[in-house]
Amino acid sequence: MIEVSQLTKSFGPRTALAGVNLRVAPGECVVLCGPNGAGKTTLLRILATLARPTSGTVRIAGLDPLKAGAEVRQHIGFVSHRTLLYDDLTAEQNLAFYARMYGIPAAQTRIDELLEQVGLTARRHDLVRTFSRGMQQRLAVARAVLHRPALVLLDEPYTGLDPLAADTLTALLTDLTGAGCTLLLTSHNLQSDVTLNRRVVVLNRGRLVYDAPHTDASTFPALYRELVQEARGKKQESVSVESANEESANGRVSEAANSELRPTPHSPTPPLPHSLTPPSPLPHFLPHVWAIVAKDLAAELHTREIFSAMFVFAVLAMLIFSFALDLRGALAQAAAPGVLWATIAFAGTLGLSRSMAREQQTGGIEGLLLAPVDRAALFFGKALGNLALMLAVEVVLLPLAMVMFDVNFLRGGVLLTALLGTVGYAAVGTLLAAIAVNTRAREVMLPILLLPLLTPLLIAAVKATGALLEGATWAGIGGWGQILVVYNLLIIAVALLTFGYVIEE
Amino acid sequence: MAKKSLLNSVLAGLSVVMFLVALGMVFFYAPREATMGEVQRIFYFHVATAWVGFFGFFITFLGGAVYLATNNRRWDILAFSSAEIGLVFITMTLVTGMLWAKPAWGTYWTWEPRLTISAVQWLLYVAYIMLRGSVLSPEREARFAAVYGIAAFVTVPLSWFAIRWWRTIHPQIVSSEGMALTAKMIYTLLFSLATFTLVYVTLLRQRIQLEKTRDQLAALRLQHDQAAQND
Repeated sequence: MIEVSQLTKSFGPRTALAGVNLRVAPGECVVLCGPNGAGKTTLLRILATLARPTSGTVRIAGLDPLKAGAEVRQHIGFVSHRTLLYDDLTAEQNLAFYARMYGIPAAQTRIDELLEQVGLTARRHDLVRTFSRGMQQRLAVARAVLHRPALVLLDEPYTGLDPLAADTLTALLTDLTGAGCTLLLTSHNLQSDVTLNRRVVVLNRGRLVYDAPHTDASTFPALYRELVQEARGKKQESVSVESANEESANGRVSEAANSELRPTPHSPTPPLPHSLTPPSPLPHFLPHVWAIVAKDLAAELHTREIFSAMFVFAVLAMLIFSFALDLRGALAQAAAPGVLWATIAFAGTLGLSRSMAREQQTGGIEGLLLAPVDRAALFFGKALGNLALMLAVEVVLLPLAMVMFDVNFLRGGVLLTALLGTVGYAAVGTLLAAIAVNTRAREVMLPILLLPLLTPLLIAAVKATGALLEGATWAGIGGWGQILVVYNLLIIAVALLTFGYVIEE
Repeated sequence: MAKKSLLNSVLAGLSVVMFLVALGMVFFYAPREATMGEVQRIFYFHVATAWVGFFGFFITFLGGAVYLATNNRRWDILAFSSAEIGLVFITMTLVTGMLWAKPAWGTYWTWEPRLTISAVQWLLYVAYIMLRGSVLSPEREARFAAVYGIAAFVTVPLSWFAIRWWRTIHPQIVSSEGMALTAKMIYTLLFSLATFTLVYVTLLRQRIQLEKTRDQLAALRLQHDQAAQND
């Protein structure tokens, strides 16, 4: 099921994984242990296709994730540190959304079954943000196995769980292995049932230092400590191949042995021919796009926080411009297009920031990246969701601006300009919001990145609106309309080509 | 390493010599412009810095695109180094432009298309530099910067058209037309362009070297920290 050969991963000068080799047979349950910073999460994230290796090869069910990413993702379920759930959706809405992303047939039956299994049927219509940590974790596991993956990766799934919730999770995992699912999970709990009678792999400083079945709960913690300290020592002394071979007989893996792909030291346990069901045909592009848009709008309907914030901010901006420029009479009419677009620009940055932060909050972006979805569909989905929110604000804002400035904005040409301007804004804003949300100064970074890039769009939108308000026809506004169209095409092309680079780790 | 160091020294020396010659040509060889007088001489620096600034941003765009395609750090270093140097030159363009505008147009700043596009460029690449300093993961920093560098560069022609039409549709208060150049002026301008391009190449090599040294230092620090932890 998993074949990892000579896997390395570096983050700048820091090496997280250094030549790891690992084979996991179908149906096997492997526990990955190691101290903090050993490289466990990095390994899992590479296997889950969330991170790219620096070098080495990875095969999941014989497929190369770098070449057949979407197909591989169809077979993988991942329980991360974060729940990858949307706080502002209900439990059922979360599962329904992921069911659409994975193109699961008869999704409702599967959702009902899983909610029952994780004991959340009674809370299915409650927002996830009202759930306890244990309930969220159970739902996260349900999300991860929703599409019946052949391989489930779990990153410290027991963290933060009370004993009762931990028992439920153990029962779930047992069911999964019973169903022939391959499990690879990380754990710090060396004495629990989780590790007992399982194949245990120990990573230390990016190197695999132990690989053997673990049968004695009383002795393993001591062995583990010894392994970790020993591995530190080995960094300073060179290890002879002879002693390494000797060690590997006890499950210990030397650096030399670690440097080439070899069968695991014990014979792969379960003779489970969990043959992969052929992946269901990947759902089409548009259903994915609409699923993302619907998810964003549903979350917004529950909270109304983005719409309210954008609208109130826009009204405040219009008032401040009116006070500052003393806009009355003819001056108000002349300044109206500029004030309107400046208002939209400021309010837009606020909404885009929040929309992407909501996605980032509980790892929603990772959830999307795990699904077998075209990156372009992710971009279009997010951009259309943002566009819908911005247009909703404009629908309320334009009549208000008409009253404030005594200007009739409700003309065909003006509305078309508003639409074109907002499309370009949402496209470039979505791309840059995905960047800004991953920066340290995320609150201030979006306007700094976005506003200079909007120069041609804003100039064209203001000038076109002004000309149209003065009575010009769409054909009579000169090159402004062309600039809006070309800007939109250009920026959408750039975003489609680069969005994948922005959202991936 | 020694060869590289020698080449850097030669380039630096040549840049200084050419810069001195360019200064001489600007002040002693090029004729005094009839309308604007001595102040016109700033034009040779203004145009040359603008050219190098825009060229630097083009290299940033190119380096970013190749980095995304190859994931090779050297292209990211090239893009980053070029953006920093481009930003310095565009800053010089803005300053020299304003110094020239005051006696020529009676104001330090006017929304003349070329000044405006330079100001927009300046803001774009200040944002680029800020972005680079604001991302924790080095890989992400490189990717984000590459994407932003590409988006920034491709919108420049549109900004140029928008700004030009914006200013020309309305009556212009000032105009920069009518500056005919004599042969000596053209030679001086071409020499200035060559000089500033050489200065750009020299600075770029030094900046790339600095970034590589930083990478090496970071790797050494990490090794040291790990060794200390083992002790």
